[in-house]
Amino acid sequence: MKLRRNIYAKENMTGYLFILPQMLVFLLFLVYPIIEGIRLSMYRINYQSETFVGFDNYLTLISDPVFFKALFNTVIFVVFIVILTVGFALFVASAIFDKNARYVSFIRGSYYIPVMVSMVVMSMVWSFLLNPANGLISYFARDMGLGTVNLLGNPKTVMPVIIFVTFATNVGQAIILYIAAMIGVPKDLFEAAEVDGASRWQVILKILIPSVKPTTVYITIINIIAVLKIFVVIQLLTGGGPNNASVTLMYYLYNNAFKYNQLGVASAVGVIMFIITLLLSVPQLKSMLQEK
Amino acid sequence: MSQIKNKKKMERFDIVSNAIITLFAVLNLFPLYWLFTSSLKNSSDVVKMPPDWWPKTITFSNYVDIFQNQPALRWTFNSIYVSGVTTILVIVIGSMAAYAFSKINFKFSNLIYIIFVSSLMIPKEIMIVPLFRIVQNFHMVNAYGGMIWPNVAGAFGVFLLKGFFDTTPNALREAARIDGASEWRTFTRIMLPIVKPGIGALFILNFVQVWNDYLWQLVVGQEKLMKTLMVGTATLMQDLNPNFAYKMAGATVAAIPMLIIFVMFQRYFTSGITAGAVKE
Repeated sequence: MKLRRNIYAKENMTGYLFILPQMLVFLLFLVYPIIEGIRLSMYRINYQSETFVGFDNYLTLISDPVFFKALFNTVIFVVFIVILTVGFALFVASAIFDKNARYVSFIRGSYYIPVMVSMVVMSMVWSFLLNPANGLISYFARDMGLGTVNLLGNPKTVMPVIIFVTFATNVGQAIILYIAAMIGVPKDLFEAAEVDGASRWQVILKILIPSVKPTTVYITIINIIAVLKIFVVIQLLTGGGPNNASVTLMYYLYNNAFKYNQLGVASAVGVIMFIITLLLSVPQLKSMLQEK
Repeated sequence: MSQIKNKKKMERFDIVSNAIITLFAVLNLFPLYWLFTSSLKNSSDVVKMPPDWWPKTITFSNYVDIFQNQPALRWTFNSIYVSGVTTILVIVIGSMAAYAFSKINFKFSNLIYIIFVSSLMIPKEIMIVPLFRIVQNFHMVNAYGGMIWPNVAGAFGVFLLKGFFDTTPNALREAARIDGASEWRTFTRIMLPIVKPGIGALFILNFVQVWNDYLWQLVVGQEKLMKTLMVGTATLMQDLNPNFAYKMAGATVAAIPMLIIFVMFQRYFTSGITAGAVKE
C-alpha cells in the first residue's frame, strides 16, 4: 500500500519535472501578459505613472470613429478573405487531389511558395507592382487606356486590392490541408459513386465536401484569427490610408501603443481582440481535444 | 496517389478546372519572378516602360549595395540565430512536456494539457503591449532574449510532438523501466529517436515561422543592428533611395533561404501543417 503510494508520488513528481520548463515559459510569456493586458486596459499609463481609470479606455474607443473604421475593415477583411480562401482552396484541392503525384506537388508547391517567403516579401513586391508611377500593373492599366490608376491610393479600390493580395499570398496553406484531407477520404466511397454513375461534379458536392468538413472548420477558424491580426500588408502597402480607408484593428493597436503612446487604449483593443479570438476558437479546441 | 477509374472520360468540368488552376498557379508565382528579375536590373531599367521581361543587362550591384551599405549580413545572422535558438528551445522543452503528457500518468495532466492547447489559437501580437513591458523589465529590448523567449512560450511544439509520442507503444517504456533505465534515459535514448520525424517537422515549421515573424521582432529589435532580416528588409521600403531594384534585392535576400528550405524539406511541411487538422 505504502509502496504503491510512493510509486504514484514519484510518477507525479517526474511528470511535473518534465513539463516544468514549458510551464514556466508559458506562464511568464503567455498567461501573465494576458492578465497584465486586462489590468493595463483599465489604466492610463504615462512614462512613470499608472492611474486606474476603470473602463475609460474602452469609452475612448467607443467614441473614436477610427476604431470603428478599424473594426469594420477587419470584419470585411475576415469575411471576404475567409470565403475566398475556403472556396478557392476547395476548388483547387477537389480538382487535383486524385491526379498524379508530380502534378499535385507542383500545384501544392506553387501555391505554397508565397506563404513560405512571407507576407513581408510579398507585400514589398506587390507594392512595387502597384506603384502608380512605375509599377507593372499601373503600366498595363495605362496601356489599356484606363489612365493613371492608383489602386492603393483610392479609398474605393484599396480594400479589394489588399483582400486579393492577402488571399493570394496565404491560400496555399488551405490548399495543402484540403489535399491531405481529401487523399484521406476512403476509396470505397468513390468506387460506390462510380458504380452509381455519378459525375465528377456530383462526387465533389456529395462526397468530397462533406467528408472534409472538419478541415473546413479548422481552416475557417485559423484564417479568421490570422486575418484578425493582419498587419504587415497594411503597414507596407498603405499605412492604413488613404484617410483610414484600410486601417485594421491590429494596425490601430500598434499605432496607439508605439506611435501615440496610448498604452492603456492599446491594451483595451488587445483585450477586445483576445475575447473575439477566444470565442472563435472554442469549437476548434473542442474537436482538437476530443481526438485524443 | 489514388487512381479513381474515371480516366476513360475525363469530364469537361475537370479539364477546365485544372487548366484554370494551372494558369493561376503560374500567375501566383509571377510576383516572385518579377521580384527576382527586378533585383538584377539597374536602377533605370527597373522602372522602364514597357518593361523588360528579362533584364537586358544583369547586374549584382543591388546585392553589393545591400550588403555594403546596409547591415544585411548582420540581419541575416540575427535571423538565423533567433530562429535557430528559438527552435532548439521549442524542441527541447516541448518534447519533454509532450512526452510527459503522452506517457506519464500524473495528476491534472489532462487539465494542464487542455490549458496548453487552448493557448494555440491566441496570437501573441494581441498582447503586444504587456508582453513588451515584461520584456522591457527583463532588459531584453534590443537583445536576442527578447526576440526568442516569447516565441518559445506557445504550446504548438507540445501539441505536435504529443501526437507523435502517442503513436509509440507504451510497452517500450515499460520494458526500458524493467531494465532499470531512468525516466530521463528512457526519454532521451529510446523515445526521442523514435519521434525523429516529428522533431524534423517541428524544426522546419518553427524555424520558418520565427524567420517570418514580423510584428514582434519589429517592436523588440529597434536598433538597426538588432533587426532581423524581415524587419531590416522592410525598412528599405522607407529608405529614401529611389532605386527599386535595390529594395527588391533586399526582399530577395529575405526570401531565398525560405525557398531553399522549402525545396529541401517539402514533405515535412505537409506532415507538420496537417498534424492536428486532418484526421486520417
